[in-house]
Amino acid sequence: MKLKIDFMAQTLVKALAGVPVTLEITILTMLLSAPLAFWMALRRITKGNEKAKLVRFYISFIRGTPIVLQILFFYSLLPTLLNYFFNVLLGWDLNIWDIDPILYAVAVFTLNTAAVLSEVFRSALMSVGAGQLEAALASGLTGAQAYRRIIIPQALVVALPNICSTVVNVLKSTSLAYLMTVQDIMAVAKKEAAFGYNYIEAYLVVLVIYIALCTIVQLIFRALEGSLSAYRRRLA
Amino acid sequence: MRPFHPAFILEALVSIAPYIWVTLATMAGTVIFGGLIGALLAFAMIRQRKLGNAVANAYIYIVRCVPPIVMLFIVYYGLPELLMSVGININEIGKWFFVIVTFSILFSAPMAEVFRSAYLAVDPGQREAALSVGMTGAEAFFRIILPQAAVTALPNFANMLVNLMKEGSLSYTIGMIDVMGKGQLMIGLNHGSFSLETYIALAVIYWCLTIVLEKGFGKLEEILSRGKQRIRA
Repeated sequence: MKLKIDFMAQTLVKALAGVPVTLEITILTMLLSAPLAFWMALRRITKGNEKAKLVRFYISFIRGTPIVLQILFFYSLLPTLLNYFFNVLLGWDLNIWDIDPILYAVAVFTLNTAAVLSEVFRSALMSVGAGQLEAALASGLTGAQAYRRIIIPQALVVALPNICSTVVNVLKSTSLAYLMTVQDIMAVAKKEAAFGYNYIEAYLVVLVIYIALCTIVQLIFRALEGSLSAYRRRLA
Repeated sequence: MRPFHPAFILEALVSIAPYIWVTLATMAGTVIFGGLIGALLAFAMIRQRKLGNAVANAYIYIVRCVPPIVMLFIVYYGLPELLMSVGININEIGKWFFVIVTFSILFSAPMAEVFRSAYLAVDPGQREAALSVGMTGAEAFFRIILPQAAVTALPNFANMLVNLMKEGSLSYTIGMIDVMGKGQLMIGLNHGSFSLETYIALAVIYWCLTIVLEKGFGKLEEILSRGKQRIRA
């Protein structure tokens, strides 16, 4: 077996053009799903909450079905729903079918990641001792202040390794965005591969790019962990 | 909005259900081969020899960074050519072969970590005690350490298994007819209509399988950890 090295070099350059798309989807997904996940985590932690059941049901569904199925499901459902809602019900003349597929990708990945991330947040919030919240409230902080200044800074340190693996997983999942006609790394490579039947070479290039991206993400999180957990070292 | 036929969900469920066995069979194959590779990797890491440790860590790192679909395509397109260059022709072989190879590679990395952490969770005193009463190293491992490590590994293993099942649904992209593949085939045969109903049927099947796996392993853990003494407050 001989690999076509110059084809790989060309594909590498072309596939790198897909990297911003992959990163855009990953970053937008993380930013959008974080508040959603936090809300769900809080609903599940507070006792006697009726919404907790609904949240549990949602998380169970998302964690129980493959992401590729969620992509296919939402991608065939969302446009029809949006079209019905805006154009039939509200009578607006929106061009639903021209929406950038990246937005659909972000929507689907956000729905998925929010469920995963809420479990991460929940376990991190529970790891902070109950006394911390009580002490904060007793010293006159409001609930929101207590969370922002006392609970979240501590929970975040605990959650960081899991957030890192969630980001890596989202990054890996974005390789499925080509199913929604998004022009990411995978889609570019697939197109190049099909052109001259150079599949192995093209996918090896994708593999190298993903290893590089994952390494960068992990390095960033390692640096973050060092600076966020600074308060722990001082105590020791 | 296009018409929605709830009745078709039932119809799809009935025609997809027999293919659950295909999914479960490929999972079983993956667990066996992936588990074996994972055990070897864990062994290499536990032994702490420089070369073995480095190779195992590099393997795990790389496999963890690769999206499953990319690995699937690399194996599907690359393996036949690689084997052809050493004179083995596998062009006639079924799709299941590529699926099992791919997911064994992907499954082995997290499994290695599960094995390793479970082994390390057993108190070293257990092994020393076993050796001191005259057991050989192998006896001590199989009769004392393994039963205890297995219980520790179980929850993580169940998690990995559910992940494997979900990732395995990607095998439809190379034309494997398992649960997901059958669903896609039906959508194709219906020229794209009833796609939503079929997806719902697929979601129901995967969701049920996940719940069954989780509950089943929860029960198994309860049974296996009977011998364990809880900390008394």
